[in-house]
Amino acid sequence: MKRVLLGHAAIATLMAVAACNGGDKGATADSASGSEPQVTSGAATGTASTSGARIAVAHAGPPGEWQMPAGDYASSRYSELASITPQNAANLHVSWAFSTGVLRGHEGQPLVVGNTMYVVTPYPNVSYAIDLAQTGQPLKWKFRPDNSQQAIGRACCDVVNRGATYADGRIFYNLLDGHTVAIDAVTGNQVWRTKMGDLSRGETITMAPIVVKGKVIVGSSGGEMGVRGWIAALDAATGKEVWRAYNIGPDKDVKVGPKFKPFYAHDRGKDLGATSWPGDTWKTGGGAVWGWLSYDPALNLIYHGTSNPGPWNENQRTGDNKWTASILARDADTGEMVWALQVTPHDMWDYDAVNENILVDLPIKGQMRKVLVHFDRNGFAYTIDRATGEILLAEPFVPMNWSTGIDMATGRPNVVETKKTAQDKNVKDICPSLEGGKNQQPAAFSPQTGLFYVPTNNLCMDFQARAVTYIAGTPFIGGNAPEKGGPGGYRGEFIAWDATTGKKIWGIKEPYPVWGGALATAGGVVFYGTLDGWFKAVDARSGKVLWQFKVGSGVVGNPVTYTGPDGKQYVAIYAGIGGDMGLLIAGDVAANLPYDVRERGTTLPDIARWTSWGGELFVFSL
Amino acid sequence: MTSAVGTDTGSNYFVAGDSLRLIEHPEILPAGFPLQIKPLPIKNRYEGDKGAIANGAKLFVGYNCLDCHGADGSGAMGPSFQDGRWHFGGSPGDVFESIYQGRPDGMPAWGGRISNEQIWILTAYVRSLSSKDLSTENFTGKTVERTGH
Ligand code: HEC
Repeated sequence: MKRVLLGHAAIATLMAVAACNGGDKGATADSASGSEPQVTSGAATGTASTSGARIAVAHAGPPGEWQMPAGDYASSRYSELASITPQNAANLHVSWAFSTGVLRGHEGQPLVVGNTMYVVTPYPNVSYAIDLAQTGQPLKWKFRPDNSQQAIGRACCDVVNRGATYADGRIFYNLLDGHTVAIDAVTGNQVWRTKMGDLSRGETITMAPIVVKGKVIVGSSGGEMGVRGWIAALDAATGKEVWRAYNIGPDKDVKVGPKFKPFYAHDRGKDLGATSWPGDTWKTGGGAVWGWLSYDPALNLIYHGTSNPGPWNENQRTGDNKWTASILARDADTGEMVWALQVTPHDMWDYDAVNENILVDLPIKGQMRKVLVHFDRNGFAYTIDRATGEILLAEPFVPMNWSTGIDMATGRPNVVETKKTAQDKNVKDICPSLEGGKNQQPAAFSPQTGLFYVPTNNLCMDFQARAVTYIAGTPFIGGNAPEKGGPGGYRGEFIAWDATTGKKIWGIKEPYPVWGGALATAGGVVFYGTLDGWFKAVDARSGKVLWQFKVGSGVVGNPVTYTGPDGKQYVAIYAGIGGDMGLLIAGDVAANLPYDVRERGTTLPDIARWTSWGGELFVFSL
Repeated sequence: MTSAVGTDTGSNYFVAGDSLRLIEHPEILPAGFPLQIKPLPIKNRYEGDKGAIANGAKLFVGYNCLDCHGADGSGAMGPSFQDGRWHFGGSPGDVFESIYQGRPDGMPAWGGRISNEQIWILTAYVRSLSSKDLSTENFTGKTVERTGH
């Protein structure tokens, strides 16, 4: 699956990038391709074949604001702002910066509503309202929630928070200890606070909510702690729970009823969320909702993914383990399941399906289709009919070897026998690794180019599964999976993807997994940050790096863009390495813990040369 | 060390190295009261016992300590045990207490859930891991395997 053939056009672009880009020295020890970002291509043309592509749902609020985690319900992360262009991006510079006062992984993104920016930190999940209209950007308020310390050690993969959402004068977000809060956007006062998760069972919350028709939609984390994953709706006015749907268990709890019409036969049947598990193992089977949510108002459907099944040791849970590692479409009013697609049935590699579902209308085989595009941990990019759950196209977007492809008749992946994990076996060289071809770092879509901009990982793993006992509040994993760089000598790549053909158009190879999200803009510039702390502006059409700035700490957050009170276009990004990559994989990037000094890991052997923990917001403009 | 005391004219404050100032009326002390306080460390009868440490390693996996503290205690959601550094003290008594009572940032309390005997065995194992001097990180050295969630 290696795509290393360089077309002539791609080589020309590569040389142009190398010439303009002398600053990046982020080389890895075994990087065969050197330290410069490089452009490769599987397609020699270098242009997208799409036309007439559009985002399914309009940007939330005025184009100069950023009111929702992804800017819109479609999860496009696209902005109409167009002042920053490939011609002038080289003049970008820091306008101002703000220390969040918190270290650890700064996933997520700020919001901009009117002349106020809202920032939520990792645990303890402090929120700030920053006045953009005044010089020096003073705070309007800060809110320091009551948030149980116990949550720190219960969150599997760092104490991250993926951001807040805005609606009707309130800021809504989740606390790591399992609460959802509503804050008055003007005063910073807490309007309500609702306990949603049970910390003693390992339930934490890290995801960013969205508000749909007066309901705040939230979901649980804890797929590594033997939780029983759920998604729920709260009344935005009162904080009262309106509905809650579990992702595993009997139909009644999962909200499978008359509306449920999955496209594939194996997803049909009674109580599959319980019967596709041995005994009552479903009760501790994972299926959490820690990723991103999308919403299609025309179909009134909420789309979300579910996490890996627990434990990792597949031996303890024979069967399909529905509805883990699935993409689910639910009625926004009731939570009822309308379709389901289990992308990795009986997952045995920790391939959560929680990555974002991007809602777009695309011309496919000469016909406009209402689709959902999803870059899964399992390494396949899916283009799916979002009304029915039918897979229109599924192609690998990263090097992979666990599957030879998707059986289009059943929707199931064809699994390579030698890459199946099993208890007490050490299965070597599985690609992608458990971090997936892509993880939480969200992709962006530009209707101008018709392309998806996708931050990816290129890691492989050995997988050693073992028996594990469920003990409430402790990890329910039963496996160890040391990782290493994937084929090609790079560990991540920022790619442009054509979801109508399933082809990569260009890619920028990175020495480390690209754990930060993407932003696409109408100016024809896309933005992303890297784990070694570079924030980059890239030409959306060619993949040429136009500008880059070293922000100090690794980027695991997502850029947003807005119009300032002065009418200028600004781009904001968090710097602050963390998440799975910064806490578990890097190991040695902390400096503030005199009692916890770690050796560096093999996966990212010299990341600590380039970055330490941090917590800073950077804002750039021309 | 005595600045807090220096501003106060009273004598009923504890000063490091002069513990008896704590007592306002030394004449009430019983005869033979030790004037120097010597620490009497709590002993773990499994300390350094190879068989117990091997059993401790099994308990460490069996009770899912491993997934929070990393393979061989190399650090994950919970702190590393390989660095010779301790947040809550590294004596056998301190480590026993950490396991027995739990700690605020998410370390579960195991007292009452598993036997004290097993906690002492885990204490011996956890203490046996702390040996490396990781003060300096030189980027040309070797690396350890880590796993993500
Ligand atoms: C759910 C995750 C989790 C599990 C399971 C867990 N620990 Fe911990 N442990 C932690 C965290 C987090 C801390 C740090 C607590 C703090 O700083 O307040 C910690 C702290 C400790 C400490 C104190 C370390 C120091 O530097 O002083 C010891 C000792 C310890 N754990 C041993 C164990 C043992 C033995 C087990 C299994 C019986 C275990 N832990 C299971 C998360 C866990």
